[in-house]
Amino acid sequence: MDAKVTPGRTAGLYAGAAVLRLAIFTLLPALPDLLTGRVEISTPVTSFKRLQEGLFLYNHNVSPYDGGVYHQAPLLLPLFSLLPSFTSLPIFTYLLYIAVDLLSAGALWRIADSGEAGSSALFTSPRREKRWSGFVVAAAFLLNPFTVATCIGRSTSVFTTCAILHAIAKAVSGAPFGAMVALSFASYLSMYPLLLLPPLVLLAYDRQRPERATKSALQFAAVSASTVAGVVGVLFQMSYLLTGSWEFLPSTYGVQLTLSDLTPNVGLWWYFFIEMFDSFRSFFLAVFWLHLSSYVGGLTVRIRRQPLVVLTLLLGIFAIFKPYPSISDMALFLALVPLHRHVFPLMRYTFVSAAVIMYATCLGPAFYHLWIYAGSGNANFFYAVTLVWNLGLSLLVCDLMFAVLRDEWEVERPEMAGKEIRQI
Amino acid sequence: MPRLLASALQLRRDPRILKLPPYVSLLCILVGVAWLFLLPLDQYSRRTYISENALLPGQVHTYFGGSDQNVFRAYKHEVNELAGKSNTDVNDKLEPIVKGLGLKTARQNFTYHAAGHTYSGENLYAILQAPRGDATEAIVLVAAWENVKHEINRNGIPLALTLLRYFKRWSLWSKDIILLITPDSIAGPQAWVDAYHDAHDPSRVSSLPLKSGLLQGAIAIDYTQETRFESVHIVYDGVNGQLPNLDLINSIVNIAGGQMGIGVALQEMWHHDNGYPDRLRTMLRGMLKQGLGLASGAHSSFIPYHVDAVTLRPFGDGWQDEMAMGRVVEGSFRSLNNLLEHLHQSFFFYLLMQRERFVSIGTYLPSAMLVAANFTIMAIALWVKTGQPAEGAAPKTKTETNTTTTTTTTTAERDLFLPLGVVALIQSLSIIPLYLFNHAPESTLTTLFIAFTALNTLLPQVLSHLLTTLPTTPTTPHQFNLIKSFSLLLLGMFLSTLATLNFSLALITGLLASPLSFLQPCQTRAGKVAATALLNAVSPTAVLLAGAAYWGTDVTSVLKEAAVAWQVCGTYSPVVVWCVWWPAWVAGGVVVLGGRPGTPRGVGNKEKMG
Amino acid sequence: MRQFLSLLWLSLFSFSIFASAADYHEQLNLRPLPLSSLLASFNFRSNTTLDDFDKGNFRFFPRSLAQILQHAGTRELHLRFSLGRWDAETWGARPWDGAREGGTGVELWAWLEADTDEEADHKWLTLTNALSGLFCASLNFIDGTRTTRPVMSFQPEGDHSTVTNMHLLYGVLPHEVVCTENLTPFLKLLPCKGKAGIATLLDGHKLFDASWQSMAIDIRPICPPGGECVLQIEQTIDMVLDIDRSKRPRDNPIPRPPPGDQLPCDTSKPYNSHDTCFPADHTNQEWTLSQIFGKTVKGTCPLADSTIPPVCIQVPDSRSVFVSKDVHEKKNPDGLSRCFDIAPSTELEMMLPRLDEGASTTTDIVTPETPLLYAERSFTGHGQERGGVQTILRNPSPDTAVEFIYMESLPWFMRIYLHTMEARVAGHSHANKSLIQQVYYRPALDRARATQLEVRMRVPPASTVFLTYDFEKSILRYTEYPPDANRGFDVAAAVITILDPQPETIGSHGGGAAKSARRFAAYTLRTTSLLCSLPTPDFSMPYNVIIFTSTAIALTFGGMFNILVRRFVAADEGPEAGLAVVLGRLKGRLRGMLKR
Repeated sequence: MDAKVTPGRTAGLYAGAAVLRLAIFTLLPALPDLLTGRVEISTPVTSFKRLQEGLFLYNHNVSPYDGGVYHQAPLLLPLFSLLPSFTSLPIFTYLLYIAVDLLSAGALWRIADSGEAGSSALFTSPRREKRWSGFVVAAAFLLNPFTVATCIGRSTSVFTTCAILHAIAKAVSGAPFGAMVALSFASYLSMYPLLLLPPLVLLAYDRQRPERATKSALQFAAVSASTVAGVVGVLFQMSYLLTGSWEFLPSTYGVQLTLSDLTPNVGLWWYFFIEMFDSFRSFFLAVFWLHLSSYVGGLTVRIRRQPLVVLTLLLGIFAIFKPYPSISDMALFLALVPLHRHVFPLMRYTFVSAAVIMYATCLGPAFYHLWIYAGSGNANFFYAVTLVWNLGLSLLVCDLMFAVLRDEWEVERPEMAGKEIRQI
Repeated sequence: MPRLLASALQLRRDPRILKLPPYVSLLCILVGVAWLFLLPLDQYSRRTYISENALLPGQVHTYFGGSDQNVFRAYKHEVNELAGKSNTDVNDKLEPIVKGLGLKTARQNFTYHAAGHTYSGENLYAILQAPRGDATEAIVLVAAWENVKHEINRNGIPLALTLLRYFKRWSLWSKDIILLITPDSIAGPQAWVDAYHDAHDPSRVSSLPLKSGLLQGAIAIDYTQETRFESVHIVYDGVNGQLPNLDLINSIVNIAGGQMGIGVALQEMWHHDNGYPDRLRTMLRGMLKQGLGLASGAHSSFIPYHVDAVTLRPFGDGWQDEMAMGRVVEGSFRSLNNLLEHLHQSFFFYLLMQRERFVSIGTYLPSAMLVAANFTIMAIALWVKTGQPAEGAAPKTKTETNTTTTTTTTTAERDLFLPLGVVALIQSLSIIPLYLFNHAPESTLTTLFIAFTALNTLLPQVLSHLLTTLPTTPTTPHQFNLIKSFSLLLLGMFLSTLATLNFSLALITGLLASPLSFLQPCQTRAGKVAATALLNAVSPTAVLLAGAAYWGTDVTSVLKEAAVAWQVCGTYSPVVVWCVWWPAWVAGGVVVLGGRPGTPRGVGNKEKMG
Repeated sequence: MRQFLSLLWLSLFSFSIFASAADYHEQLNLRPLPLSSLLASFNFRSNTTLDDFDKGNFRFFPRSLAQILQHAGTRELHLRFSLGRWDAETWGARPWDGAREGGTGVELWAWLEADTDEEADHKWLTLTNALSGLFCASLNFIDGTRTTRPVMSFQPEGDHSTVTNMHLLYGVLPHEVVCTENLTPFLKLLPCKGKAGIATLLDGHKLFDASWQSMAIDIRPICPPGGECVLQIEQTIDMVLDIDRSKRPRDNPIPRPPPGDQLPCDTSKPYNSHDTCFPADHTNQEWTLSQIFGKTVKGTCPLADSTIPPVCIQVPDSRSVFVSKDVHEKKNPDGLSRCFDIAPSTELEMMLPRLDEGASTTTDIVTPETPLLYAERSFTGHGQERGGVQTILRNPSPDTAVEFIYMESLPWFMRIYLHTMEARVAGHSHANKSLIQQVYYRPALDRARATQLEVRMRVPPASTVFLTYDFEKSILRYTEYPPDANRGFDVAAAVITILDPQPETIGSHGGGAAKSARRFAAYTLRTTSLLCSLPTPDFSMPYNVIIFTSTAIALTFGGMFNILVRRFVAADEGPEAGLAVVLGRLKGRLRGMLKR
């Protein structure tokens, strides 16, 4: 780790990651479509096949939002119609996805090198000197099988991932405006990143350059919020001009809010709302969304001194409680966890949660096969695995949270380092 | 939840706990096996029952017989003339007969290459359209020209033709009836059912020109016996150990036994006194077949496509004639015809131990899970033993030295990296034997096997030698422990997943691999030798040899069988052997030969040093 | 003078053909088909002048139906009840060129007079509900998710030069099982109510034992040149009877094996003997009306136009047909069919004798003409996650290409991917773009609207074309499944409308149909319907699922909440908690016991 990160190694890592993906794309031509079909990878709001359908309709002057298939952001359509058609020249699409992954890795690298995780403006961890270099963090992201699978499955969530990581990177490097723009792109693509606004504002506020720093936090927050609102508004306007109507709003964000498409995924929502009684459906929808957004305030206040931690934890929580989660959200969370290398010694259940997640990863496809293809199992099999998966994930999030808090605590009581403690 | 785990963690600190795991996992295995032997008892097995009420087995009168016998004789003459003719000649002769019944006929060619051989042929099939139906559902009647033992189906094919002629007269069919005549019992049905669901490779298997609706069930007739028979043998094992819905078997048992007074046998238990030994034998035979995952008849290929199917084979010396057999099939078809929904009610995971007794998954799964669990337990124990980095606290609280966490964790980092690399390497190596044994031609299989066995015995030695004499960092004991821990974790994970897909295969593999969790790193030369001997005794290759010797065949034919099954039916047992069991075995070997005994105290010393 | 009379006679005759005056006539057409089956097509046609209709005085036109039409502002109506499938391979071209049949189940399409789409939908709702009451069919289930508005496939048959604001709506119920309760109201619409005339042959047992049957009602306004406009109602029943099956006596319907000596055997086989018999089935057919229909024709309907012969049969003139006395046989000039005139009060019994062995079998029936196109549709793939639809279209003619419109209306839970649709000629591996000429596609909306797909394509002569596309099966809310969820969902038949080679010159109404589609339908056929099995949840689990999911969420939330709000203290500070407490208690217990 301590070895000097030469440009050569950087290039080597990026080249290696790109070659790995290209090799999979070209050597196993059947695999991309197989992964695209997996419910764990592509959800109704990120599926590449649905994107293709939407593109087809868009190119043939049928409104893609006047139907139940395409639920993704309008601006993806011109982006992909600029590319050569996927059926004839798929290589360009592959290159695009690979490029997006590399961009995200670059952002991650910058975040890691900034050292924000170890020592933020208001807090400096006693363990901060023990951290992984940007190289390791980026490598951990690029070679993570979840990331690779998402890229091969060509799920459009990689764009959201990229935007979020860039938002954080910008904020860390003291460019609030850029951060807000990136965040609004993320929110435009898939709505939920809007919940990241408060911690991101704090992060940007803490890290803003001294020369042109806004003193009052309120003013800063107001400016940032209005920036986001403005950019999102512009994006909506563009989409409106593009599709010629506002019907993309219900079809894109309405679906996430009302969960009208119940296709299975790794989350907790789908089976719950399949089995929900009609009269209570809307009530529980409200409750679930409320629950999801309730974490933002609590964490932001409690861990005010380390906004980056808040962002990490929130992304982990979203990966559990989103309406349409997929392993790509998991990948995003796992990408940010190595930033907090210094608290790893304080984590207690890494092995347990890792084992649980691995078990779920193995059992999920098996049970899905039993339910859908072999017909010998029923929906409860897959549902049970999603429960296990989410419990494992939540265990990981809790553990990280605990480690971080204990790290903060040991600043007040340094003599307690390495001692047994408990919470009352 | 975290608080519970926290208090569990407290316990983990106790050194006495660290002694337990080997015994616990041993206990798991013993209980698992004992559990298996309890199953045949009345307290644990249950009586079968029909849970899909629409089936109404044996509730209808069957009228097949009378002058149909004359027709049967005529068809039998026709078939006997065809004995020994080529596949196409047979079809050329049979097709006009089937057309004459007023059925739509079509043919399909297929060619498979496996183990250097070519399996090709032509399927003939005909569709009897439901008189007032709309091609939405269908039932299949399979009559292979040859059964798995390559005996000509002398009575089966004429019987099928006569039955179709008889069925044509009824107007009550709600589903189409498809007659499928295949040249053999494995490749032909596989090709047909693949093409029917468009899961075929067009270069080897041609698509079907004629189709009907969803297949709701299939019954294969394997009737080679010339004399009158006594009872019917129901063959129900599908590819990869998948089973048909228990209701299908129950209703046939019900029709044959209850209505016709024909006995029913399972798993080649020609005589079954319903006592404990016979039940156990039936169950074990069933588990063995399931574990091998080979196709056991013309019906096997249907089951992976969620089409419940069985093969009926008359046997024994009795007074039942072909018409009785025909009435059994008629009754079964009338039951399937009653179905409103696709069979989904009853059990798909079961072990039959007598025609009217079974155990369901809830009862038998624990035994396999316990065996899989023992690996996981050992894995966790070893992990704890090596003192995981996040648990820098663990040893420190015991020994009140406040070693800076940096040192412990830096050593821990080196700990994690190498073992993961080794395990990954071994796992990736496992592709090689899989590919070799599934693609090599039969002629080379023997030499290949010998060569592989030789290499296989050497491989652990070489690897462990490399690891111990690694130039940069000689491998530490608890790196070896970590290797073992990771490989056992993977093994446990794969096996528990497999247990849900193919219970028997998981159990067998688990039992065969169970020694791996107890092999300790040994220092003394004698110990190493003994360990090596034991290791090689339980190696996949050795087990393969032993198995072949036990069933009186040679390894080559076993390997060829496996390769054919892999190429034609997609049996995944080879994957389990080479990619799950073998890597775990190699890792175990590496640990045994390379590792010095890593005790908790060893861990402590390690940290002092660091 | 005689010439004049004959002229008058002729004009009268033609008049009745053009059906301008208020009149009624009926005809039964029997056509023997290969493999011992018989096609019987009944046709009843009556009409009333439009102003009579508006005034509400009806003579032959059924009042019940007329009032529904007036109430729902329906200009033209087509209703179909069908069962079974037409075996084109054996039976050849369909009766009426397929214009009088529907897909399995119930099919309804109508042109409604309305200013807006909403008004049209509203009228459509009233129409379907009223008709479901009238015909005892669950037509009221044709809601928004089952209704489509075809653009190219259907053209109005009637003359609508006066009205401009017409809306075509089309609905289909593939799962509806047609049975006797639909036949009775159907017969009630006839002037003679099935008491006299050929309608006396119509009997539920025979009709619904047929291998294929289709009941049709067509109502259209007709304006003959120079005559006044009339509203015509045409009721048609076509059925294909399996002769062996319907000759079986009513009291003993079970097909027991016949005694060995009555079994028709192929005596040419060497092994033929008293106990070995190679069956010789399906020789040329012999039957009588009373055998097949269980009764004879009771005279004619007195209201019917007597110039139209009530019964016709299509057999070669070489074959003799015996009929009961004072029935007059008229052979048609083509030499392939003959008709019979019956006196109003006589019973008609007809007998088709078996052809003696000498005659060659080609002459025993009229060989059916080959249809313009064979179509077969089936699902591809397996599993309950996704699949594909494959339609095999075969053009038998050696020289002329066939151009047609392929229409599907699919339920919303089949999410089709249009970008995967492709047509390829058999033998070629890659798709052929030129086959598909025009596509009209309206995607489905979840729980609101069905998919509507219309494809205009052409099949080159003597070639087979595969039309394929993929779809995804969506999983529904557990309340949206029918009681037999694991049976699957029926998918309506695809409608294939073969276009007349030369475009129509007159007529320019019927909504915004593409110019190219403004042609007569030369021939119509429908594929079989399909059964699509969706993934099903466990219906017994709502409470368990709610409880489990909530528990998982509570665990996560509780864990995080704990960590967030609780204070850290060293293990030895603060009050005892957790396992230690339990252990301490146990120790105390033990001590107490030991002391005692």
